[in-house]
Amino acid sequence: MSAQDLVPASAGPLSPTGGGLSRTRFFLSNEFGLILLIAAFVAVFAFTTRGFLSPFNLFSLGRNSAVNIMIGLSMMTVIVTGGLNLAVGAIGVCAAMVCGWMIEVLALPWPLAVLGGLALGAALGFVNGWMVVRTGLHSFIITLATMSIFFGAMIFLTRAESFRAMPEVFSAFGKMKLATYLSPLLLVTLACALLLAWLYRFTVTGREMLAAGANPAAAELSGINVNRAVILCHVLSGVLAGLAALMLVTRNGAAIPSMAGQLGQDWLLPAFLGPVLGGTLLKGGKVSVLGTVLGAFLVTMLTSGLLMLQVGAFWVQTFLGLMLLVAVLLDKARRSYLARRNLA
Amino acid sequence: MLHLSRLSRADWFGPLLATILAILLIQSFSASFLSAYNIEILLLAIAVNALVAYSQMVIIAIGQMNLSVGAIGGLAAISFAGVMEVWGLPAPLALLLALAIGALAGAVNGILIRITGISAFVITLATLSIFKGINLGITEAQPFYGIPESVKSFGASILFGPVPLLVLPTAIVTLLLWLMLRRLPMGRFILAVGSNEHAAALSGISVGTTVVAAHAISGLLAALAGVLVVARLQIGQPSIGDDWLILSFAAPVIGGAILAGGHVSTMATLLGVVIVAIITQALVLFSIDPFLVQVVLGAMILAAVGLNRLRARTPLKGSH
Repeated sequence: MSAQDLVPASAGPLSPTGGGLSRTRFFLSNEFGLILLIAAFVAVFAFTTRGFLSPFNLFSLGRNSAVNIMIGLSMMTVIVTGGLNLAVGAIGVCAAMVCGWMIEVLALPWPLAVLGGLALGAALGFVNGWMVVRTGLHSFIITLATMSIFFGAMIFLTRAESFRAMPEVFSAFGKMKLATYLSPLLLVTLACALLLAWLYRFTVTGREMLAAGANPAAAELSGINVNRAVILCHVLSGVLAGLAALMLVTRNGAAIPSMAGQLGQDWLLPAFLGPVLGGTLLKGGKVSVLGTVLGAFLVTMLTSGLLMLQVGAFWVQTFLGLMLLVAVLLDKARRSYLARRNLA
Repeated sequence: MLHLSRLSRADWFGPLLATILAILLIQSFSASFLSAYNIEILLLAIAVNALVAYSQMVIIAIGQMNLSVGAIGGLAAISFAGVMEVWGLPAPLALLLALAIGALAGAVNGILIRITGISAFVITLATLSIFKGINLGITEAQPFYGIPESVKSFGASILFGPVPLLVLPTAIVTLLLWLMLRRLPMGRFILAVGSNEHAAALSGISVGTTVVAAHAISGLLAALAGVLVVARLQIGQPSIGDDWLILSFAAPVIGGAILAGGHVSTMATLLGVVIVAIITQALVLFSIDPFLVQVVLGAMILAAVGLNRLRARTPLKGSH
């Protein structure tokens, strides 16, 4: 944690204007802090554990972080609007189960089933977004209710049974290694992250989403259809949650109803850790795709490293909670530092 | 007419009407609904769930949320069972210790929220994970079986008729909470901070103390709920509290609590718990799938928030 502490101090005396500004700002950014932290922890784990940098561990690290990053991105798309989506886990599991059902019961070819799963994710996301917009209630209470409804309906329809007869393609894709240690899942995730970064930076829709999150009233007055932007964000979140769950299916080789825990609650912490560590504002209007990717990667790496240090699997959860606390505190400290120096 | 319309404005009026209607309806379809055995089961569920709902209600009253209710309850539950089995502490001492842990955990939430100014959602999400992790770290996901006979008999004994003894602590807490929110300064402070923090501070209320106190009370109630579950199950399960999150919000919201804060009602929340328990029980009686309980709970939250919103929109007629 100390590395990020040092970031503001090591930046030294600053001139608030001038050519050095953008570089100084990069050094003060969350992303730079995260890169430092990742580098520091890689060094620590490489020296203290055996096999941290082994090809197998790097492969599984990439595969796990692919899922965690995707979960983080799924939450990030809704945080952009200043809302949140407690139903990411429930939507993800629903999408995976529908995919399994289409393959096993309807005997459809797998690409169609994957599309079906993603379409369900989008549809459930749409339901969330539509209700948030129509009722004007905060997305917390809406998605709390739909989390219960989606998950309950899924358990009711599947009788809590897994779909285990998934085609070979799935587990083969999950096990595939590119260049001995790279999982193709990570490439899928990074491609999604790039698309999202492009969306927020270069497209009108993306800019509208950010504007709707930053100040809905002002956005509305500037001619932006805020309701449409909010619904789109929720749809996007549903699709990404579905993708994350399908990745888990390729890893497990089966669609399991309990893969995100009771009501999909197990996804909540990773979903918030990535964006919050990455500097996405919970108030909405500001987003950092790179930060979310780095944050989720850091979390996955720390989990893996701690497990290899034999801290005990049960204490890892405590550690992740502490990390979320430290992250928000550091972020707050960094922001007030920036505010004092008129840099932000 | 004015009298009736004012009555219908009371928070507990709608839920009470719904409760009576639900009881009549279910009783007319299934005669065994109001059997002594069924009432006992209902009361056992209500005894625990009411405490869980109160734990969230106190936080809703100050306009925040507490995601760690279940984690605090679970931690207190396994501490209660653990110190009795491992250290051989007598039950009353273990109870005090568990309640202290709950209050402390709640106070930690409150202090963190107050000092950092970070939203209660993020703080309690983090502490949810921390408390649950401590729980699992201590128990390694194995239950404590060594519950003394005194606790077991407390959990199994009957007060009178179909009323189990476990209802007693909940009844006392209900009265105390009602008294606190109605009459005691702390309760009024909590509601004042919830409805307008700035105005409350200007009126000389210490907002920080009130927020921390509300969270400590919330933790205490969650811990008591955890202890009651241990007495009922006769085993210290690490998974106690895992499924409290939805329920803790459902009952206060059904009872008309406004999530923005400043407006909660103990009696209406209790009725919210009763409605949830009745409907859950009805699903079992009519042998409808128990898996559907989650769906019904979610739908009830949505319906309730929708209704509360409508009620808030229609202006109050007559002088008030």
